[in-house]
Amino acid sequence: MNFLAWVFFAPLFCLLAALGVSLWARSARSSVRLGLLVSLAPLAAFLSVAAVLPRVTAGNPLRLNLPWMPSLGLEAAFFLDGLGALFALLISGIGVLVVLYAGYYFADHPEDAPRFFSLLMLFTAAMLGLVLAGDVITLFIFWEGTSVVSFLLVGFKHKDEAARRGALRAFWITGGGGLALLFGLLLLAEMAGSTRLSVILASGPVLRAHAHYPLALVLIALGAFTKSAQFPFHFWLPGAMSAPTPASAFLHSATMVKAGLYLVARLNPALGGTDLWFWLFSLTGMVTLLVGAWLGLRQRDLKALLAYSTISQLGVLMMLLGQDTSIAFKGFVIGVTAHALYKSALFLTAGAVDLAAGTRDLTKLGGLWKTHRGLGLAAGVAGLSMAGLPPLFGFLAKETLLAAVTHPNIPPVTSLVFTASTVIAGALMLAQAGRFVVDTFFGERPAAQPPARPLARAVAVLCAVPAGLSLLLTSLPEPEPIAAFLASAASAAYGGPVKVSLALWTGINPPLVLSVIAVSLGLFLFYRRARVIADQEFFSAWAGRPNLETPARAALRLLDRAAAVSLRTQSGKLRRYLAVILAASSLLVAYALLRQPIAFQSLAVPTPDLAGGLGVLRLFALLLVVGASAASVFLQRDLMAVLALGASGLSVAVLFALEPAPDVALVQIVVDLLVTTILILALRRIPRPLREQANDRRTASGSVRDALLAAAGGLWMAAVTLISLTSRPRVSIVTPFYEANAKPLTGARDVVGAIVLDFRGFDTLIEITVFAVASLGVYTLLRRGLGLYRAAHEMPADEKPHRSFLMGIGGQRPSALVRLLTDAILPLSMVIAVVHMMYGHDQPGDGFTAGVMVALATGLWHIVYGNREARRRLPWLHPTPLVAAGLLTVLVSASLGAWISGSFLSAVDFGKLWGLSLPPGFALSTAFFFEVGIFLVVLGSAARMLDTLAFGEEAAPRQGG
Amino acid sequence: MELLTALAIGLLFAFGLYQFLRRNLIRSAVGLIILSNAINLFLLSTGAYRGLVPAYVGDPLQHSDALPQALVLTAVVISMGGFAFITAMLSGIVHRYRSGDSDDVSQLKG
Repeated sequence: MNFLAWVFFAPLFCLLAALGVSLWARSARSSVRLGLLVSLAPLAAFLSVAAVLPRVTAGNPLRLNLPWMPSLGLEAAFFLDGLGALFALLISGIGVLVVLYAGYYFADHPEDAPRFFSLLMLFTAAMLGLVLAGDVITLFIFWEGTSVVSFLLVGFKHKDEAARRGALRAFWITGGGGLALLFGLLLLAEMAGSTRLSVILASGPVLRAHAHYPLALVLIALGAFTKSAQFPFHFWLPGAMSAPTPASAFLHSATMVKAGLYLVARLNPALGGTDLWFWLFSLTGMVTLLVGAWLGLRQRDLKALLAYSTISQLGVLMMLLGQDTSIAFKGFVIGVTAHALYKSALFLTAGAVDLAAGTRDLTKLGGLWKTHRGLGLAAGVAGLSMAGLPPLFGFLAKETLLAAVTHPNIPPVTSLVFTASTVIAGALMLAQAGRFVVDTFFGERPAAQPPARPLARAVAVLCAVPAGLSLLLTSLPEPEPIAAFLASAASAAYGGPVKVSLALWTGINPPLVLSVIAVSLGLFLFYRRARVIADQEFFSAWAGRPNLETPARAALRLLDRAAAVSLRTQSGKLRRYLAVILAASSLLVAYALLRQPIAFQSLAVPTPDLAGGLGVLRLFALLLVVGASAASVFLQRDLMAVLALGASGLSVAVLFALEPAPDVALVQIVVDLLVTTILILALRRIPRPLREQANDRRTASGSVRDALLAAAGGLWMAAVTLISLTSRPRVSIVTPFYEANAKPLTGARDVVGAIVLDFRGFDTLIEITVFAVASLGVYTLLRRGLGLYRAAHEMPADEKPHRSFLMGIGGQRPSALVRLLTDAILPLSMVIAVVHMMYGHDQPGDGFTAGVMVALATGLWHIVYGNREARRRLPWLHPTPLVAAGLLTVLVSASLGAWISGSFLSAVDFGKLWGLSLPPGFALSTAFFFEVGIFLVVLGSAARMLDTLAFGEEAAPRQGG
Repeated sequence: MELLTALAIGLLFAFGLYQFLRRNLIRSAVGLIILSNAINLFLLSTGAYRGLVPAYVGDPLQHSDALPQALVLTAVVISMGGFAFITAMLSGIVHRYRSGDSDDVSQLKG
């Protein structure tokens, strides 16, 4: 790996910053200082990209390929050339400014700052990843990442209805476009035979000639259009202005909305140059340009005005990407840079104005120049750049644009239309820039408004930095390196050499003349702005608003109505749903069963096979299971029913043992005990009158219905089981593999244990995690949730827990014999647990059984000694550390296995590896550590379940647990 | 014996369903356990062949099928975790609605 390739870790800086902020900055006192600290991450990214510029400018892209899912042919590939570097510099550079600025923006609400900073850094990481991606799948993942984080940022003020709506709308549109993009990219990868960008870019002729080219192009364009707010998808962008202003400045002017442009520019060498390409992008761009400029002028909200002018500018750039001339791509890179600089300056100013004047409404603003000169100066310079006036960078951008649309390669009529719309939009842009600057800073401040607040000097400086850069870039004494860098970016997008010069004065030529026309027209529009806006209002009232917002709303209304209709069919009663589900599934199974003839001869004569004595035992166990279950139905008292259930579960264990499946039988025994205990504890929590009330309300017809449903279910279950049992023996493919490989591959005699711990070890890891999460859920529901609910609804806590649980059995000191038994049972259970863990690989028993056994033993301590005393005597029983230690043990031993033998959770016998002499039958292997981990997790989880269910929310939370 | 086993599992399933449908929330929890027991027994019966001895390497007699056993093992553990969670939910519901009757819990409707 080339050492320069560490530039690809730039997103990682921001990711780490996001993580760091969300972990440690909860209690940040000063958002300004936090901003200063966080800004180091984008700064590091900026510097690392800047460091590789000489190499990239020279035309040597950097590459980094990391294997990701080799079996699927996927890799995380990264790639940096001039185009990517230009975007990466803009993203990280403006990122630094925005982060610093956000520190001041959130100065009054420092509690919001950490969340904002971590989201912003997450976004920066995704955005940098997007422009550094060298593989379409990698690119897509980062693309979606920006959509998701943008959703969170737009909805940052989540208590505000408008913010939530704006966020959702932005997400619908960009997310939908993302789906189209995914299909397009997959199609593209299929056509090119590789997901790698370098391969795709090199197979342009094949792609363009492919039958699926139009489909892939349109799908990809949909993704780009939605992301870059092109007509008719542009309407999400103004709605997204509910984001905090630093986020708008960053996402909705400088970075995210440019992702679509980046994608189109990136793929141009492969897909561009066709007629479809030309018309698709130029026309969409042109319409967007006009719509944005037209709608923007009449906005009263500063940010909305900027949003529409952004849409317009995005249209310009999209239009340029449609052309097949080198000057268009020169115009593209200059335009992207110019827009990012002036628009971020204006957005930051808009936020500062909002902070200073308390409003962003242009009709309530004015006269800020007197109090905020620095801000006014920054806005003025940026506004001049937006208006496209010399000597600013925006002027250069507009000149190049005009030169591109008047290029002789474009068909004459089209060129005329393009030129006219560019001139009109340019004039409208100038008027908008004028409105932004003049109506905010000059004139008189309306008398009804409170006096403007002073701002930190740094805010004006931060706004001035990008504005100043737009001035600086055209007046550099040595513009060559920057021009060369921009040229390398343009060449990468064009797919051929592009020359870029930053000279402002190129003599009197058609672009200059057109520019003068646009400026004069713009000045006229600006001067008569009140009149023009009134005319616009009149026109739009007459014409309506032709965009997708209306259909989108109609679709949502339709969805609402459908929901109302379906709600009418819902009773809200759980049992009715269950009955419907059960009846329907019974019918389905019946249909499936009756389609195939059942072997009726096997139904004819029951021949109890009592050979060998085990048959009798089996018969007995079956009778016991059925009898105990029947008892649990017919016994009136709930406690008795629960005990009958316990008996039935134990008989099931006997059936398991007779299968013969001794491992399952053992687990069934401990699980049955735990279940019975939990149910009895739950019974204690539910007052008896409430339970009996439910019994009394039973109606005869309801019982008959339930009985019929149950009988139908039981009938089909019996039929399915019979088919399954009588069709034995069947051919098994998997089991013989496990049987043959258990010993050689995992060193285990117990095939079931080998499957659970080795062959399907990952499942088991997830399984114990689920178990731990379930115990956390019990804890959260009962100890936290109920307490909070009571507090919120001012309900009294339950009566004090039954005394016996504080004082031992019956509130009395237990007898010496009981205490002796209790004391003995815990060490005994631990010895059994250790044996289970050590020899579980060759004999029945495993870590799960061991964990539940020890947990039940500690439960007995709680009952006999009372809660408080048991806690004092068992100081080591802290659920959280136990669970954590267990999971860590599993992960560490699994990783060790991966390190030694190459795959996660693979079996490694450490004892043999290190030549330890161990007792025979015991292997110090990954499986053993796995068992220990399971034991710890299950012990912690089961202890927590019992503890929480027994003592509920009344008990003081135990320390560390 | 096959017929008797099938009948027993069917009966178990029916008892479970009946309990599950009752109004008393504790009884429906009991029903859930009976149901999962019935289903675990059924899953064991899906083994490809009948065994005479447990599936331990080295025993010359016909082993029982290890695959469904491993799956049932996982199922037992997971349903145990799920059951504990359900019991906690049940307890929360009773306290929140001040009722042990599942028909009183009708705020699912939006």
